[in-house]
Amino acid sequence: MTSSPNSDEIFAKVCELLKPYNPQNRPIYRESGIMSDLEVDSVAVFDLVMGLEDHYDISIPMEMVSDIKTVGELVNAIKELTSE
Amino acid sequence: MSSLFDKYAPLKTRVDMMMKIGQDALGVQFDDILDATRGRIGNREILLAGTNNYLGLTFDEDCMEAAKRAVESHGTGTTGSRVANGSYAEHIDLEKALADHLGMPSCIVFTTGYQTNLAAIAGLAGDKDVIFMDADAHACIIDGTRLTGASTIRFRHNSPEDLDKRLQRRGEIEGGNALVVIEGMYSMFGDIAPVDEFVDVTHRHGGYLYIDEAHSYGVFGPNGCGIAEEQGVLDKIDFISGTFSKSLASVGGFCASRHKEFEITRKIMRPYMFTASATPSNIAAARAAVEKVKTGGHLRSNLKERAEQLHTGLKEMGYDLCAEASPVIAVRRPNEAVAAMEWNWLIENGVYVNLAVPPGTPQSSSLLRISLSAAHTEENINTILKAFGELKNAQGEMMQNMAAKLAAE
Ligand SMILES: Cc1ncc(COP(=O)(O)O)c(C=O)c1O
Repeated sequence: MTSSPNSDEIFAKVCELLKPYNPQNRPIYRESGIMSDLEVDSVAVFDLVMGLEDHYDISIPMEMVSDIKTVGELVNAIKELTSE
Repeated sequence: MSSLFDKYAPLKTRVDMMMKIGQDALGVQFDDILDATRGRIGNREILLAGTNNYLGLTFDEDCMEAAKRAVESHGTGTTGSRVANGSYAEHIDLEKALADHLGMPSCIVFTTGYQTNLAAIAGLAGDKDVIFMDADAHACIIDGTRLTGASTIRFRHNSPEDLDKRLQRRGEIEGGNALVVIEGMYSMFGDIAPVDEFVDVTHRHGGYLYIDEAHSYGVFGPNGCGIAEEQGVLDKIDFISGTFSKSLASVGGFCASRHKEFEITRKIMRPYMFTASATPSNIAAARAAVEKVKTGGHLRSNLKERAEQLHTGLKEMGYDLCAEASPVIAVRRPNEAVAAMEWNWLIENGVYVNLAVPPGTPQSSSLLRISLSAAHTEENINTILKAFGELKNAQGEMMQNMAAKLAAE
């Protein structure tokens, strides 16, 4: 069993998977609002989440995603789900 | 101080850009509708190629007659919900007719298709259940999941393998069940679900399959029951929903089930209980249209021919089409501004299609979406093709115009 990823690793992965949804190449910080600052649309957010689910082999249900506003919150949610 | 509307600033920028390019594609006003395929704006006649009027029944004499008779005998409105104010004979009769057509013991009729999915999905899935939803599911399916306490997981569009993987990953659902929600023909790209494979995967995992045939009821299958019938698995579908607003040429919706226990949900579905029931004329028109669907083999075959004609023609012109030939043909455009500009050019040249832009579209795509009707003739399709051909040649001039409009303050 591999050990669960740390927060920085997850943040790097999220940034990587966010790339195609961020064509204007806005800088991504943990505080960045995914929809408000990066202007990723609601459907694209869910597409991004599917990619993260597959990468980490976890289920991130939609109702959880609806509560996530920032990149940092998404990283924290993944951290929690991968350490279960 | 900030305004309540500040949050719409980015949207406002987008709308302003659209309005500079031309008229509001999402707020078209027809001065007259002449028949199933013709409208009028000002003194211009418009060929309607974006109505979802798949069987062309909006002006069918029998359907119109049925609606008129219902107004005369039962009035203009029901003035209340079926739970609080009672059902009319029309509602019951239509439920029986649809149940019979689909070969299912239970069918519930709703006031719109939107409310149908909202009500049925929220009614079926409880706190301990898990909904698995196709990634391209319509807004009303998404909204339905939001009305439930159920956890919702999205799977990759039209991929039974991906559903299988996600069901597996989620593991055993303690004290609950899996409800898998897909559509028959998808509204934006016109692509079709492998329903037979979804039946296998869903039932192998002990789940229930719910299919929204909003765009496919009346259009596919030997008897017009939809994609599930076309693929020979209608009797294995747990829940099948549809709308009256497309092939049935009215307003309203239905959900049918092979489980007769579905009837109990009438007592808990909020968008069924707390809204007025459909008017007698809406229901009567849909009821007459169901008979047309049953005997509509000739309508379906003309629709199929027209779809193939248009698809082949557009492909030959080099247009990027989102799916195989079907009554919905979506032409992918490079971005929203180009799509809006071309949409304007088309309507100015007498052809109405739909402008479809994110987030209402899959893959953040900008589309010129065409929906065909059995009422379209071979000649109508030639008119659409001619317009798309000229559209290509008009690109240079259009680009210049757009640049000038966008630059002008
Ligand atoms: C897939 C799908 N389901 C449901 C609906 C809602 O139907 P209605 O227009 O009858 O509310 C639509 C479209 O409007 C749709 O495209």
